[in-house]
Amino acid sequence: MKFGSMFSDVLPSLFSSPMTELYPFERREPPARLRALLHWDPEQCTGCGLCVMDCPAQALEILTLDRKAKRFVVTFHLDRCTFCSQCTYSCRQGSLSLSNEGWEVAALSREPLTFVWGEAEDVRRVLAGELPAEGTPPQAT
Amino acid sequence: MDVALDLLRLLIFPAGLTLLLLGLIYEWVDRKLLAQFQNRVGPRWFQPLADVVKLLAKEEVLPHGVNRWLFIGLPVIGLAGPLTAALYIPMAGLQPSDSFTGDLIVAVYLLSLLTLTMGLAGSNAIGRFSIIGATRTLTQLFSYEAPFLLALLGPALVAGSWQISEIIGSAGGRWLLLTQPVGFVVALIGLMGKLELPPFDAPEAETEIVAGALTEYSGRGLALFRIGRNVAMVVGLTLIAALYMGGIANPLAFVAKTLGLLLIVAALQAVLARLRIDQTVGLWWRYGALLVLLQWAVIIVARGGVS
Amino acid sequence: MVTREPLETFSVPIGPQHPALKEPGHFLISVDGEIVTDAVVRLGYAHRGIEKAAEGRNWVQNLYLVERICGICSHIHAMAYSLAVERLAGVEVPPRAQTIRVLVAELERIHSHLLWLGVAAHEAGFDTLFMYSWRDRETIMDALEGFTGNRVNYSANLLGGVKCDVGAEQRTAILKALDYLEPRTHHYMDVVTSDAMYLQRTRGIGVMTRSQAELMGAVGPTARASGVPRDVRVEAPYAAYGSYPLSMVLDNRGDLEARFVVRLNELFECYRLVREILDTLPPGELQAKMPRRVPEGETISRVEAPRGELFYFIKSNGTDKPERLKVRTPTVFNLMSVVKLVIGHQLADVPMILAGIDPCFSCNDRAILVQPSRGSASLWTWEQLRRHGIEVYHGRRP
Repeated sequence: MKFGSMFSDVLPSLFSSPMTELYPFERREPPARLRALLHWDPEQCTGCGLCVMDCPAQALEILTLDRKAKRFVVTFHLDRCTFCSQCTYSCRQGSLSLSNEGWEVAALSREPLTFVWGEAEDVRRVLAGELPAEGTPPQAT
Repeated sequence: MDVALDLLRLLIFPAGLTLLLLGLIYEWVDRKLLAQFQNRVGPRWFQPLADVVKLLAKEEVLPHGVNRWLFIGLPVIGLAGPLTAALYIPMAGLQPSDSFTGDLIVAVYLLSLLTLTMGLAGSNAIGRFSIIGATRTLTQLFSYEAPFLLALLGPALVAGSWQISEIIGSAGGRWLLLTQPVGFVVALIGLMGKLELPPFDAPEAETEIVAGALTEYSGRGLALFRIGRNVAMVVGLTLIAALYMGGIANPLAFVAKTLGLLLIVAALQAVLARLRIDQTVGLWWRYGALLVLLQWAVIIVARGGVS
Repeated sequence: MVTREPLETFSVPIGPQHPALKEPGHFLISVDGEIVTDAVVRLGYAHRGIEKAAEGRNWVQNLYLVERICGICSHIHAMAYSLAVERLAGVEVPPRAQTIRVLVAELERIHSHLLWLGVAAHEAGFDTLFMYSWRDRETIMDALEGFTGNRVNYSANLLGGVKCDVGAEQRTAILKALDYLEPRTHHYMDVVTSDAMYLQRTRGIGVMTRSQAELMGAVGPTARASGVPRDVRVEAPYAAYGSYPLSMVLDNRGDLEARFVVRLNELFECYRLVREILDTLPPGELQAKMPRRVPEGETISRVEAPRGELFYFIKSNGTDKPERLKVRTPTVFNLMSVVKLVIGHQLADVPMILAGIDPCFSCNDRAILVQPSRGSASLWTWEQLRRHGIEVYHGRRP
């Protein structure tokens, strides 16, 4: 039976600096395997849509403009993503990957958190609302 | 001129505003030391001030069914107690503003006025947590008060007087904590009980009864009670330092001695777990009272032995 | 004839909003002075309709849904789910994947027990132990982050295997974390069993005898602290536990201190197991091929979560969405023991006894139908359930 058994921890702490990292003044490097922002490689994508089906948060949408010519527009909703990385494993071509950066995802509105990837002209049309974010439009221009 | 000087002493320095500020500073030191002991950062220097300003700015919610005047008046009385007690102790190293025979008892009584008003405030509110907290506060008051008072009277016994300035004078710079260590320990731990610091924070056990007696308080009332607690801490530390550590000669000695005591108090807070209320009562009535009576026996025998 | 007036009971609500609870749950404690005379528990504040939501998502999406039933034991939920679905589909998971699943499960157990140690110390008012145990828990969180990619909700499972492999770097990081944690755990064991003020709050409090534990159906470390030898990893080894046998940690005192001792001893067993796994990891693939449509059938899966036995029932109708998913978490049974144990104790002991079972309210908000008198099982339709709820709770104040 003793009193103050934590004393051996408490006394040295008086003379050492706190364990707390004062973010944002002290930032730690993210570990290599951290699951953060998604990246899409258009070269590998075949538009199969497995990633869209398997995403538990419905954060991905794919618009197929021309399947043979591999023209797709992928819309990624970062505010819905749970960083589970299932999409990277559902994709058989390896066109999706989660980098370890971009984990500071605070924003003041939803616009910065919606990513639209594809050819520049197609992206502009999707953002302007001329094209839907997903599906296969009948006319392929 | 005299009246103006008295008013200055009462309202600005050493009592009044200075005391309130000192209370905030000491609260910050206590929380920062506790954080340092727990290996974390702790609050910044203006945190207690920010807390007080925020609380004063908030709406005071009057719960349903309480006596309105008691609810509003009790925090004021609770703050007035320790502030008045500060008049009789050597605040900031200066001579006590007022001094008369028996002012030691008056000072201790005024300190317990804070605890009494907290208990009454808790009983006033009809929330269940408040009532349980009030019961615990008053139970704890009955448990530590006697040993605490007796421990503070130890130096009085040696000096043969019940006046604080005379006790300090007759000690003549000697550190009574060396000759009466048991009394010193009981006094310091009794102060922790009075201030409801861990391990004696059963009356305001956050994980059991939310905030104890002060659960229903918000805004101004809560701010006054918290300031009252801080002032009581400063006054209590000064009292113990003055009686047991050879008086306080100047402001520098005041700061050094009271902060030294605060370091010990913070260390004890960090290292001990909370006691249940029945364990607190058992501890004080068995060990506390026994130790202090032992100390008294030693003092009486020693004095009887010397002429 | 003299009739006695019933004692005025004073009821103290602990919850749903209370500093003692990390998650909402309601305990109505009737006290007489400081002694507890009665306790009633009411749950459902964290009910999210997960079992219903699972029926609208495909098998892959559900893996991540069940992971989020609980934040502390997320991997074990996903593991139980994957084991059940793989059994239905008849898929054989490669041994390396099963072993890595066990590795992550044991690391999760370490973090969960350290978290619990801090929370229980906080309930006792011993904030210093809380801060230090959580500081040490950061080491294992960092190791898990470097290994799986996230601190909480590791998402290490895939249907058919795991995602992340153990490389040399991860192995070193995990071993380093364990080397730091093992002496610290010895220190905490020392604190918990010999600190006088802490023992006053835990020794002899909340004693549950073995027969009581078996009657109330307690599971997990709560039951093992009362001498009930139940541990799914030992009785019915799943995943790779067959190749990595472990010994059950038992204690027969049944009080709060015994629960502390059991969980801390389990930590040592975890450290030993993780070290053994890292030394003898079988080579092989990480994932087996999994069909998108799972054949018809129903199956169960029992695993040992940090809090006790976790039970999954999955029914498939041949499509790519489950027909029924049922989860039974350990806290449900352990909570009943709290309701019985607090009677006769002081009010200050109630948060301690509650913390002693390691409650996880998010886990346990499922709808349970108990029919004590009828022998047959029956199902209620939605309408019946709704009508029952209105009748039972109509006019009763929460």
